[in-house]
Amino acid sequence: MTVNIMLKYIFKRLIVVIPLLLAMSLLTFVFMQKTTGSFYDSLRMDPLISQETIDRYVQLYQLDRPLLYQYGHWVVNLFRLELGYSFYYNIPVVNVIKGRLWNTFILSLASLIVTWGLAIPLGVWAALHRNRWIDRCIQMFSYIALSTPSFFLAILLLYAASRTGWLPLGGMHSVHYEQLSFMGKTVDLLQHLAIPAVCLSFASIGSLQRIMRGNMLEVLGQQYVLTARAKGLPENRVVYGHVLRNAINPLITLLGYSFSSLLSGAALLEIICGWPGLGSLMLTAVRSKDIYLVMASFMMGGVLFLIGNLLADILLARADPRIRYE
Amino acid sequence: MANILPTAKRHCWQPILIFSFLTFFVFIQDNCWPHNDKYGGTLVLATTSDPKSFNDIIAKETSTTTVTGLIFEGLTRTNAFTLKVEPHLAERWEVTNDGREWIFYLRRDVVWNDGQPFSADDVVFTFNDLIYNNKIPSSARDIFTLEGEIFKVEKIDDYTVRFTLPIKFAPFLRGMGQAILPKHKLEQSVNEGKFNFTWGIDTDPKEIVGTGPFKLVAYKPGERLVFEKNPLYWRHSDAGDRLPYLSKIIYRIVQSHDAEILKFLEGELDYVSLMRGNEYPLLKPLESKRNFKIYDVGANFGSQFLCFNQNTGINPANNTPYVDQVKSSWFTDIHFRQAVAHAIDKEKMIEILKNGLGYPQNGPMSPSAGFFYNPDVKKYTYDIDRARAILKQAGYQDRDGDGIIEDKGGHKVSFNLYTNSNNPDRIQIAAIIRHDLRQLGMEVNFLPLEFNTLVSKLNATFDWDAIILGLTGGIEPHFGKNVWHSLGQLHMWHPRQAQPATDWEARLDQIFDQGVKELDENKRKELYDEWQMIASEKLPFIYTILGSNIFAIRDKFGNLKPTSYGGAFHNLEEIYIQKGVIASSPNK
Repeated sequence: MTVNIMLKYIFKRLIVVIPLLLAMSLLTFVFMQKTTGSFYDSLRMDPLISQETIDRYVQLYQLDRPLLYQYGHWVVNLFRLELGYSFYYNIPVVNVIKGRLWNTFILSLASLIVTWGLAIPLGVWAALHRNRWIDRCIQMFSYIALSTPSFFLAILLLYAASRTGWLPLGGMHSVHYEQLSFMGKTVDLLQHLAIPAVCLSFASIGSLQRIMRGNMLEVLGQQYVLTARAKGLPENRVVYGHVLRNAINPLITLLGYSFSSLLSGAALLEIICGWPGLGSLMLTAVRSKDIYLVMASFMMGGVLFLIGNLLADILLARADPRIRYE
Repeated sequence: MANILPTAKRHCWQPILIFSFLTFFVFIQDNCWPHNDKYGGTLVLATTSDPKSFNDIIAKETSTTTVTGLIFEGLTRTNAFTLKVEPHLAERWEVTNDGREWIFYLRRDVVWNDGQPFSADDVVFTFNDLIYNNKIPSSARDIFTLEGEIFKVEKIDDYTVRFTLPIKFAPFLRGMGQAILPKHKLEQSVNEGKFNFTWGIDTDPKEIVGTGPFKLVAYKPGERLVFEKNPLYWRHSDAGDRLPYLSKIIYRIVQSHDAEILKFLEGELDYVSLMRGNEYPLLKPLESKRNFKIYDVGANFGSQFLCFNQNTGINPANNTPYVDQVKSSWFTDIHFRQAVAHAIDKEKMIEILKNGLGYPQNGPMSPSAGFFYNPDVKKYTYDIDRARAILKQAGYQDRDGDGIIEDKGGHKVSFNLYTNSNNPDRIQIAAIIRHDLRQLGMEVNFLPLEFNTLVSKLNATFDWDAIILGLTGGIEPHFGKNVWHSLGQLHMWHPRQAQPATDWEARLDQIFDQGVKELDENKRKELYDEWQMIASEKLPFIYTILGSNIFAIRDKFGNLKPTSYGGAFHNLEEIYIQKGVIASSPNK
């Protein structure tokens, strides 16, 4: 595919993204507004707060204006890259998210690396030694990994950590983080990252490994592999040069989709492991109806998802010459 | 140290070496007052939620007051032992003009932690420009508004302020514990109309300027808050030491109470509160091994109760009553409520929820509230037979032998019970009540609801039968007015009454209208004693239990004086780490 065609294709896809995002945001907005209750309900239950004070809060954030006005106001500000204010924190939504964005990103990235770093080699290994005991072991491991709920694993690992003292009990940094050297800080971060990253990736390792194994076996059965072997190519070259490369192609789209989950954050796991990320922030925001915080997070997730899709399609086009986009 | 020795003067190196060694020895100590080894050290605490803001005016919930309570102070302070009001930033006051005019004389030795002097300007600014500002939503305003009028706050001179109240206001001095904020830091944002968004969690900690013993130095969202001592703090100990003694306070943000307990046992925290009954037997045996001590300082404040919907109003939308007429006849019947009160096994609740460490509650105030607490309220012992007898006399009986009683009209007594799903204590209480009332012959359908939905039912749709809720409580009865006065928004069992619906509610209105204006403490006590009596007799709320205030503190602190009102560290500036334990908590 030439660069020109590719760029045209990307451009066409991006044009569609904008109305899609607006539709998503409108839907989210309507859901947040129309469901029972509002953010200031908790204030109503406080005997020391009068109705006038609650009214002032409501006016401050224009919650008493018509819905269309509020939504329109938000969209206009969107083009100025202002995402509104959080009712809870009384500061711009962007500042609230900024504080946690990096944390969630690191966790997701670590989980991605662990998942792919373990699943691919395991899948290849299993396929190459098909039906021998190592394959069966890996298969069993995958089944267990697939069926274990991540939060349960997290609780088990945290308990083990508390008994052995090998890893910290949740959180992202230790109390003395600031006083550590650069090396010390990296080690500290990795120690804290270990349990949440492993739990987050556990189930994905299982499923990705099985897919990889399946793909490898499919390609190993192809005619051109037989030809390559007949030609006298060393087995290493056959497997890692040709088979692996072809087997991994379909997984590239999966990588694109994984991109979109980079910033979504796994709320439950973050809460259990005490990881200060976006997931727990957003869960609280949805439950307490902090509307603009929720909208910002959904927009972020939506943008990343659509871009991730696009990325996946492009990567596939590059990797697989059979695919053409007109 | 070797390279600062002048190599030329080889004969003089000995005294220089000794001098350097001494200076080095002095400077490695964690303090600048070398004559007193009470100074130094870190206190590590935990909190389960991030602060939502550092702006004391906009945000008043616990996660924020944890922070602002260390940084800011008010003109008065409530002594955690005597529960009386003491001078703090004001050294004395005068009251004249029939209790309506108060003059406060401020201390002259107070500075803000950035070095600027504290003066009457700051007090006037806090009230006139912040609390009373129409564009700033603040709950503090509601406390300082009486019969619709605000107070007049005037500067008389740099250290004198006059407050003129519209009517006499008994809780005024206690309310003056209100934090005073710095005019020189916040004036600009008020003039620009940006105050509501100032001092949020994204603020540079150096900007949060207060007069209190500690100042914020770092906040990592989701991780921790770090405070350091304010070297310019005005208070001195009785012996003349400049306070506070502690160098640092760290609040670790943990995601759950279980994580907090775990961290405390691992040595990462110096304090944990034992909120659940089963935590006491878990921690008690480890006291000596892990170097801590458990304190039980008496009953908690607040209340948890069962409330029946006594709303007799009509829904204007569809012209039907809010509450089904049949059920309404039960809920408004005092005998029905009395019988229910006798059927609830409070001892069992204390056993199950608090592992025996709690108190049965019969009235709106806690025994820890001190002066205004009325111990002689009507008590309802657990007595199923008596409950059945009361019901029978009122016409409720099981006539068809199916285990469920019917009212006089033959309707089976069956109703819904709601509570908020995010409160495990209330869910357990609901389960126990449901079981107890089943013994009595009432069928209770329990459903936990999302908090927002519950609030909507209480305040907007009124479609609920019975509810389990709780309220916070304190030592000043007037601050519960919104619940007990018939015009109050939190008059849950029958809100928004045009006229008081019953004689006793009319009497409560009188009590609360009078009690706030009565400056004679003993006359006030009579009024509020009567309120508690009425509450326990007429049962708009059927109270359940109060937990004990129990917490564990690491064995390294001196000057600990825990109380139920003040908690473990109300005298934080006086607390020090005992000799030999200067090092901060273990490196984890």
